[in-house]
Amino acid sequence: MKDVMTQTIDFTLNGKAVSAEIQGHWTLVDLLQQGFDLYGARQSCGQGLCGCCTVVLNGKPVSGCLFLAALADGATIETIENNEETLDPVQEAFIEAGAFQCGFCTPGFVLMTRQLIAEIPEPSEEEIRLYLTGNLCRCGTYPQIIEAVQKAAARMRAA
Amino acid sequence: MNDQITQIRAVGQSHPRREAREKVTGRIEYIHNLRLPNMLYGKIFRSTVAHARIVSIDTSEAAACPGVDMVLTGEDIRKIMPDPHFGVMFHDQPVLALDKVRYVGEPVAIVLASDPNVAAEAVALIDVDYDELEPVFDEMEALSAETFVHDELKPGIPEIQFLKGVRDTNVGFPYQLRHGGDVDKAFEEADRVFEHTFRTHPSAHVPLEPPVTVAEPTGAGLTLHTANQSPSFVRYEISRLLGWPQHKIRVRVPYLGGGFGAKLWIRLEALVAAAALLAKRPVKVSLSMEEQFYTITKHGATLKIKSGLDKDGRITARKCEVFWNGGAYADIGPAVAFHAGMTAAGPYDIENVAIDSFSMYTNRPVAGAMRGFGHPQLIWAYENHTDMMAHELGIDPLEFRRRNILREGKEHATGTALNTSSVEKVLDRVAERLQWGKPFERGEGTVKRGRGFAIGIKASIAPSTSEAIVRLGADGSATLMCSSVDMGQGSDTAHAQIVAEVLNMPVEMVHVVHPDTDVTPYDTGTLGSRSLYHMGHAARLAAEDAKAKLEELAAEVGAQPGSNVPIWELFARKNGMPVGHVVGTASFIPDGHIPPDPMTGQSPHITPYWMLGATGAEVEIDTETGRVTVLRMINVADTGTQINPKIVDHQISGASIMQLGQTMQEKVHFDFGQVTNASFADYKIPSMLDIPQIETSVLDGAEADGPFGAKGVGETGSFCVSSAIANAVFDAVGVRVSEMPITGETVYRAMRAAAGEPLEEE
Amino acid sequence: MNAFELALPDTLAGAVSLLDPEDPTIRVMSGGTALMLMMKTDVFHPTQLISLRRIEPGYSQMGLLPDGSFRIGAMSTLSDMEHDDALAGFAPVIRQTMKLLSNVRVRNVATVGGALAHGDPHMDLPPVLVALDAQVVTISPEGERTIPVAELHAGYYETILSGNELIKEVIIPPQHARRASYLKCTTRAVKDWPALGVALTTDLDGDTARDTRLVIGAVGEKPIRVAEAEAVIDGQILSDKTIAEAADAAAESVETIEDELGSAAYKTQLVRVYVKRALQQVANQNA
Ligand SMILES: Cc1cc2nc3c(=O)[nH]c(=O)nc-3n(C[C@H](O)[C@H](O)[C@H](O)COP(=O)(O)OP(=O)(O)OC[C@H]3O[C@@H](n4cnc5c(N)ncnc54)[C@H](O)[C@@H]3O)c2cc1C
Ligand code: FES
Ligand code: FES
Repeated sequence: MKDVMTQTIDFTLNGKAVSAEIQGHWTLVDLLQQGFDLYGARQSCGQGLCGCCTVVLNGKPVSGCLFLAALADGATIETIENNEETLDPVQEAFIEAGAFQCGFCTPGFVLMTRQLIAEIPEPSEEEIRLYLTGNLCRCGTYPQIIEAVQKAAARMRAA
Repeated sequence: MNDQITQIRAVGQSHPRREAREKVTGRIEYIHNLRLPNMLYGKIFRSTVAHARIVSIDTSEAAACPGVDMVLTGEDIRKIMPDPHFGVMFHDQPVLALDKVRYVGEPVAIVLASDPNVAAEAVALIDVDYDELEPVFDEMEALSAETFVHDELKPGIPEIQFLKGVRDTNVGFPYQLRHGGDVDKAFEEADRVFEHTFRTHPSAHVPLEPPVTVAEPTGAGLTLHTANQSPSFVRYEISRLLGWPQHKIRVRVPYLGGGFGAKLWIRLEALVAAAALLAKRPVKVSLSMEEQFYTITKHGATLKIKSGLDKDGRITARKCEVFWNGGAYADIGPAVAFHAGMTAAGPYDIENVAIDSFSMYTNRPVAGAMRGFGHPQLIWAYENHTDMMAHELGIDPLEFRRRNILREGKEHATGTALNTSSVEKVLDRVAERLQWGKPFERGEGTVKRGRGFAIGIKASIAPSTSEAIVRLGADGSATLMCSSVDMGQGSDTAHAQIVAEVLNMPVEMVHVVHPDTDVTPYDTGTLGSRSLYHMGHAARLAAEDAKAKLEELAAEVGAQPGSNVPIWELFARKNGMPVGHVVGTASFIPDGHIPPDPMTGQSPHITPYWMLGATGAEVEIDTETGRVTVLRMINVADTGTQINPKIVDHQISGASIMQLGQTMQEKVHFDFGQVTNASFADYKIPSMLDIPQIETSVLDGAEADGPFGAKGVGETGSFCVSSAIANAVFDAVGVRVSEMPITGETVYRAMRAAAGEPLEEE
Repeated sequence: MNAFELALPDTLAGAVSLLDPEDPTIRVMSGGTALMLMMKTDVFHPTQLISLRRIEPGYSQMGLLPDGSFRIGAMSTLSDMEHDDALAGFAPVIRQTMKLLSNVRVRNVATVGGALAHGDPHMDLPPVLVALDAQVVTISPEGERTIPVAELHAGYYETILSGNELIKEVIIPPQHARRASYLKCTTRAVKDWPALGVALTTDLDGDTARDTRLVIGAVGEKPIRVAEAEAVIDGQILSDKTIAEAADAAAESVETIEDELGSAAYKTQLVRVYVKRALQQVANQNA
């Protein structure tokens, strides 16, 4: 086995310029958890299939579990922790609709929903299902998530 | 308190979950997130063979790896746990394998390192020499096999001590029930007899947060921070293993990222506790998604069911034989065999019943409790069987059930009279929602449509205990301390509503302390839909006790009954300052439980309450490929009073989606004991594209003895999904699938076989 | 994952120079979605990864070429392809394919170069590109060469690329009025890797089919063109009878392999049904 290799990367995290010392094999999830104590992106399937590890990299959601931290050098990263003080309409709609049970999948769904509404302001149920099919919820809150997305989208269109 | 004019209604309101904000901002506490200073990470080395004697374990290369702190094997565990076998029913599961391995994936050693990646790499350097033994995988083969998973049964709890020392068997526990008269004679006298065999497959719970435990040695004892549904049991069992008094062990559980039975009893706790004590440092073990598949599964089973009927289509006799594939260690399997066995004859009024239900040991990963506790498997069998008989007899399935269901006051096969009319009500409701009997669009061309339904019954776990403490403070706020675990089902919210209702205060004024065995009292565990009933009562009684104590305090400080002296002033009068508490306590065990007779399973009072459910399904089948699309699913449940209607609704639909996955998609595949699809890439849980329109329908009415008329609802939605869909598939294309998952290929093959042109086998 | 070195060359040529045809533990990484999966499951232990993220931006771009063909740089992500309106106009079948390919997050990262070089038979894009008669342009120390995508795959997770040869771009020839269809069939869940993919392009001159390219993905070791079925179709009107005969011809000639997605016999039936449906879809498309 080789010695652990570390390197330093600089990037923008939730609007702030930061740098971190990382190990070569770290993924974005390791980076956020070990480097910044941010646990909203969490590994579950580890294979790009569940979305629990969703982070927004350079404006696009990606699976943090499949992305090497070293490649985030110079990037802009947004996580679920990017709006600590106030909830956004998506988060509010999730609470109102009861769109989670255990909450483990929730940050991923919230981030993906923000992106979905940005891309498709008035999504049909079919479009919601297609867009969010890469996020899994073992508690089975899908009907409530669909409802929450519709609520949030309506509210954001009205705003 | 006395100044309140209006009663605040806390119960019956859809309060959002109290932790909602932390969940949508990703800040919620899970053990998954926990890192302690100086902590080591443990990675488990697992057996690659299904059944073998361990000849030698070579850990030297792993131990020599830079960055590795320690490598432990079963022998090391003995240094602090003299008999390192754990289990809630049998003491049969070693913390790490000792001289034998009994399934592929069994923990054999653990590497501890400060860097989890180093631990993972070092694990690959461990070398074990095995002397392989004949394995047994199938539950039916286990019955007659010459090879035995365990040399001798090792019962733990008092009720099963009669099995102590039993040798040369793979039957871990035999449950039997005999009801009414001579079943064989009833079959002889029957007009028609039907017999069918069904199989169900092992599936996986896979909560998105896999099991994870951190053990932290403290000055005098040990703290376990663990994602576990039964903290009180963890403390009990770890203290037993270590030979320590219970107070030296503290178990704390924050929120769980899902449970479903995967995190019950002991999962990682014994291993992590031992590792931390040996390393004298905090140790964390987080399972990967893959490892979940080796850790706990839902029972596969073979279910044989035979019914005798009279000329009027009334079932007069029933015999059920159920063989549960329990895997290598008992876990709660014997209780599944027992508990599900009890209701194997279904919600039907049958005079003569014989049930045998066996938990079998095999060389597979452990099977434990999963949402529904064996009932979804059983209902799959008996509700397919019911429809098959109705079809053979030419009677409409609704009418056939109406002739046979158990009505209020009638004796259930366990000898307990049914105290509810919910069986007929769920049946009526599902029929009404399906518009059964009305014309139905049956599809055209290569697309066929069908519909079906099923009903099911479950008893509560009995007897079991919940204790609670409610502390009412001088500022008028309350704190509930209890060991119920909120794994997503919303127990914190519901219990807070109950306390708020009793104390007539806004729900926000009730704080719920998460399980911490240093402060929260005993509870059997968060399982089997028992918490809302049992802990609901305990919380209610503790709150009432606190209220009574507050009234005593008022009297003591001279406030007139009914006067409006505010709470703070009562305390100020007593303590000189507005400080202090009154503390209410309660311990709840349902009244009247009578243990069943061990030979006949009969008891006049076997359960504090029944849970009834029904599901209706509409499906569409692509007859060219066999692919089944479920279009609509209606779940009917008798829930008692809904403490929080929204949470109730979501529990029911969530349970039904989970069962839908197990019906249509999920199956753990094995190749010579090795799980071959241990990842989400190959084990497909439902996504948003896989679910139909889902409707929930809840019966009105309170549960007579429930807290505010409530009872558990976490499992009911799972009961009937599988059989409702199978019945709908039959309705659409006239073929009966007797195994799940109901894949396109399964249905297509059945259709071809029925048409006399079977598709080539592999 | 094991420890490895990571290189971030600025040019594609630079990346090529870092490769060693004798050493399979040195690999390029584009989106990394396939590689990371293999590394996390201990299937692949690299000593060095060469990320293509910093290479010339032109490799992340796409557009029409003067000769009417369409060029897609190897580093274009699948979502770039999904959202590019010019590409959607040029070959609408690509956008349709993307909707059910993997998920948004993976498409945001995975590249067309990776999708073609990976060689996993259970993929959607390779059969579509074969049906579109696309080619890849590669670069290696020996220089550039052009390979039809139809010839790129050699077997299960195998391509004909040499150890230091990289895909530079994908070129799709002008489609004119050709009609195209891709049907994905999954067997374990609606969203899954394909158990079968049927990609089809054809010229419908009047009602008569010409130059049909029928490609079956996922049932074998690599995407396969089904000449037997194409022969049934070409020169014919796409009547129910022709379609049924072509479907039978495909089912008879395509060799299917049993795996966790289905038995060989069942997949043969799927081939029959989906070829039929793809042909029906093309026949019913408005020209
Ligand atoms: C969760 C998930 C679901 C998926 N579902 C589907 C699906 O439904 N359908 C489907 O078709 N696919 C699916 N895939 C596969 C996905 O399409 C591939 O992972 C992706 O296309 C690979 O692209 P990449 O850029 O990430 O490749 P990388 O992982 O970077 O590379 C893959 C391979 O190609 C090589 N390579 C990369 N770029 C080049 C180049 N320019 N020249 C030569 N060699 C190169 C690499 O060395 C490596 O061997 C899924 C993947 C995941 C993770
Ligand atoms: S953990 Fe990354 S997608 Fe599941
Ligand atoms: S809320 Fe538990 S996994 Fe989605």
